[in-house]
Amino acid sequence: MLEMTINDKACRGCQLCLDVCPTQCFSFDVNTSKARVAILENCIGCLSCAFICPSGAISHKHHHEVKNFYRNIEFSLRMERFL
Amino acid sequence: MSGEKIRLNTEWLCDCGGCHVALVDLHEKILNVLEAVQILKCPVLTDEKGYPEADIGILTGSVRTEHDRHAAALMRKKCRTIIAFGTCAVYGGLHGAGLAHSREEIMDHVYRHSPSTRTDFIPDNSVTSLEKMVTPIDEVIDVDLYLPGCPPHPHFIFEGLSALIENRTPKAGQESVCAGCRRTMVKTETSAIKEITDGVPDNATCFLSQGYICQGSVTLDRCLAPCPNHGMPCSGCAGPTMQVLTEPTRDIRTEISERMSRLTKIPYDTVKDHLERSAKTHYAYAMASKMIGNKPTFLIRKWIAEGEAR
Repeated sequence: MLEMTINDKACRGCQLCLDVCPTQCFSFDVNTSKARVAILENCIGCLSCAFICPSGAISHKHHHEVKNFYRNIEFSLRMERFL
Repeated sequence: MSGEKIRLNTEWLCDCGGCHVALVDLHEKILNVLEAVQILKCPVLTDEKGYPEADIGILTGSVRTEHDRHAAALMRKKCRTIIAFGTCAVYGGLHGAGLAHSREEIMDHVYRHSPSTRTDFIPDNSVTSLEKMVTPIDEVIDVDLYLPGCPPHPHFIFEGLSALIENRTPKAGQESVCAGCRRTMVKTETSAIKEITDGVPDNATCFLSQGYICQGSVTLDRCLAPCPNHGMPCSGCAGPTMQVLTEPTRDIRTEISERMSRLTKIPYDTVKDHLERSAKTHYAYAMASKMIGNKPTFLIRKWIAEGEAR
């Protein structure tokens, strides 16, 4: 089952995830000024929200990962060695 | 952990020395580190000219002179694990902006025609000669671990070092500076880009929302966001986020433009043009790295030529 979480502390309340989500997964909590996952079942795992999020606060688990043939393998492997 | 202390070498190459100061910024925590670590070589602490055998080698700074290359190779030979420590070591650092000019131009400006320099000669002894390019150390030697940051915040240094000592995987966050910033991002009617000297920015609202260029959203958080929390926009000193580094279609200027144009009424292309005009500032910290320098969308020389033609 696909999981999507928003790190509340990192969320800056910009609502860009609400703007880009093609399937309206998110809602905005006006009281706390934070985005929430409203309907997870809608999520198609396109990761648009994760890419637009300025803080990198949205993370996905168990989504279908599409092999990115543009990605530079050498640099991607290097990323695993970051402290 | 066995009774044997872990042997540590540190060496600085082309950098400001701030990364070594950041080690001392561990404050009382440095006592915990020293319980497990024995420092054999450290340019600011020991009078060791050679390179003793060690378990961990911390290299700060990039390769800019022949001496840097020599020192990096010796450290690799003598240390089991090499950590590229700080933005200069990982990406080439601020002086990576030197790539936009030739070696001759730089030498000429610094030693002969700088407005504050009276002498008119280029030194030919006591310093080893300048290499053609600024090179991050992983293009010269094999690097085991990377810790960017200018300098890395002691929080990350302690986490990294204690993970190494305890032989576990460090908790390496991939969040951007925005994650640690206290400002709220709101959509505004702002229609023009402002310089930081224009007016006083509101302390509770995101710089991008107010029309100021801030690189927080494209910069990896290895600092805990001190600048935006104290009234200065982020200058991107810890280098780009993972998605900018690994995705060829993502770039510093396009990512900022996209977010800013969605938050304000400033058009995407206006922000992008503005960032290209001051690209040497925005890309300085990472442009020496092939990860940014070789991006097909990164055209620094063209942008500078366009700026000069204007």
